[in-house]
Amino acid sequence: MTPPPLLARHWDDNRLTLVTLTASLAPFVATIVTGGPAQLPPLALAVCIALLWHLAFALPRKRLPGWDGIVTAVIFTVMVPAAVPLWQQGLALSFGLVMGNLIFGGRGRGFLSPAAVSLAFLLFSFPVNAGPATGTAAALAALLGGALMLIAGILSWRLVIGFFVAMAACAFKWPVPMIWPEWPSATLIVGLIFLIGDPVAAACTNAGRWFYGLLAGGLFVLLAYAGGDILSSVVFSGLLAAIFAPLIDQGVIWANIRRRARRVRHD
Amino acid sequence: MEFRLRKGKTINLGPSPGDAPVIARTVRTVGLMTQDYPGVIFDLRVSEGDRVRRGQLLCVDRNRPEIAFVANVSGRVRKIRQGARRRITTIVVDVEGDEGLGFDVDAATQNEGALRHLLMKSGAWLGFRTRPFGRIPDPADRPSAIFITATDSNPLAPDPAFVLRPLLDSFRRGAQALSRLTDGPVFVCQSPGASLAEPSETLRVVRFSGPHPSGVPGTHIHHLWPVSDQRTVWQIGYQDVAAIGILLASGQVATARTVSVAGPGVKRSTLVRAPLGVELTDLLQEAQTDETICAQQLVSGFSLIGREARFLSRYDLQVTVLEGSAERKHTRTALWRVFDKLPFVASGVTQPSEAFERLFPFDLLPVPLLRALAVGDIESVARLGGLELLEEDLALLTWRCPSGIDYGQLLREILDTLHQEKAA
Repeated sequence: MTPPPLLARHWDDNRLTLVTLTASLAPFVATIVTGGPAQLPPLALAVCIALLWHLAFALPRKRLPGWDGIVTAVIFTVMVPAAVPLWQQGLALSFGLVMGNLIFGGRGRGFLSPAAVSLAFLLFSFPVNAGPATGTAAALAALLGGALMLIAGILSWRLVIGFFVAMAACAFKWPVPMIWPEWPSATLIVGLIFLIGDPVAAACTNAGRWFYGLLAGGLFVLLAYAGGDILSSVVFSGLLAAIFAPLIDQGVIWANIRRRARRVRHD
Repeated sequence: MEFRLRKGKTINLGPSPGDAPVIARTVRTVGLMTQDYPGVIFDLRVSEGDRVRRGQLLCVDRNRPEIAFVANVSGRVRKIRQGARRRITTIVVDVEGDEGLGFDVDAATQNEGALRHLLMKSGAWLGFRTRPFGRIPDPADRPSAIFITATDSNPLAPDPAFVLRPLLDSFRRGAQALSRLTDGPVFVCQSPGASLAEPSETLRVVRFSGPHPSGVPGTHIHHLWPVSDQRTVWQIGYQDVAAIGILLASGQVATARTVSVAGPGVKRSTLVRAPLGVELTDLLQEAQTDETICAQQLVSGFSLIGREARFLSRYDLQVTVLEGSAERKHTRTALWRVFDKLPFVASGVTQPSEAFERLFPFDLLPVPLLRALAVGDIESVARLGGLELLEEDLALLTWRCPSGIDYGQLLREILDTLHQEKAA
């Protein structure tokens, strides 16, 4: 590794994780405050599982484990319906951590959000009743967390605006059935910020972020129109959009290379 | 023409020297370091103990013996340091007297071949760097354009307009001479304000404003005359141009540069006139105790791109004085200190973020480029515009990236590989 920088960095991996963790804990804390401590045991279990899996992958390689598994655990716990049995939660989270993140070599090397993979596994494997959505307090706290992520530059505003634009546009074409409770709910906001907006899963160019946001928003409405509830719509739209993100980026890269080549020729 | 750039960030490191009076300090030692010239192998022409005059040949590039490295002061060669494979790394000269070698400049004012020869022989050629690759140009090389960087957005750097005020005639003479080295235009890139040079057919004055890096050659070249593997330009700093002007007028090599000494480690930012390669401690105030020297960290260049060194690097016009590492630890807030105690794993992975785009005023895609650099994908780096960049252009991205990867270093390795492939 290179010698330490002469000017201290503002950002390192630990701080990045800390900011994301703070933002993701906000809706969780709001739920605890308004609804009692029922969510605490699932969180404790999820965090333990995340740490165990990270250790299991770090120790054989003689590396230090990253802390980002805790963030995945918190996001998963915030979004998972309370009625799901703990063993199912644990199984789903393990699948997501390993297949969505760790087998690629850690955060930043994969192309999916591990929390989204966990929730998708859960929704596929077990009959999940989404149950009553979380309250307004959690939604507000999630908005605060989202603001923090936007300010820190982790969440892209282009993606968020693209998502809402596509959602509004598609809602005309496919009117969404009114089965949704309070709208927008915490599930949607948290899903947008941490599953769809996960910088690792999202497109990584500015133009690509617009397209990615539009795609995710459109998919979300389409899935909801086809009969999905909020949770499954947001999870699967995030997962599908993330799979297309590298393709979107590649398109942006081609366009950039062509544009620059033309500039050099014409000068 | 004027460019107003919005992307970038000027990191606040305290007050810059502005138009503080220029101080002359007693210089005892200067050094010539290979590390300033990628790809150059020194071939000695002096030995330890020799007396040298200012402008006298010290060594040449082994592969291109026309390119001379001359003494920046008159004095005695004290030490010739060798590094790996017994290659020369540093030539240290102690200052004695002030005798300069005269060069015959009559022919150079007339014909281009003589001008090239004079620039190479007097060491003024070293002021040029090519883009792509950031190397000293080959003797027969003809660039498609030359960029004179007469602005400097590096935090704490001297203000070029102020430094050039007494040197304006020399600067203009030098700029005129440069237009004979290329068939294309010579761009004078400056900050908004009075024109530093008379615009003409060949000489184009362009103004750049905005946060750092609006005032570094990489940004200017990208916006005005993007380079590729087919098209090369040269870049040169404003003080090197003025030195060429002085050389052409007087026949004497001009090695003095106005350097800013600033940063959190000094009480007052100053401008110092000193020869190239000056030992950094000589630039500080006279009253130096061992204690204060230990408490300071001297960096040649802006602290993001510079390195801790003993001598001023060839292309640096500023010295950043940082507080010693022992002192800096106490300034952090308690929360960060607790947090920084956690086992830290630098993942070494580029985490994408919009923040990279905000710091990068190029029409290039930072995250794909950084990823290609991190995995050493040479072809992708070249396709994504890596040839337009040098290490310094990635400094802000390196600083912002949480991964701890030094992208500038990786880019240098890839550029060196590409250069070798091209030469082969």
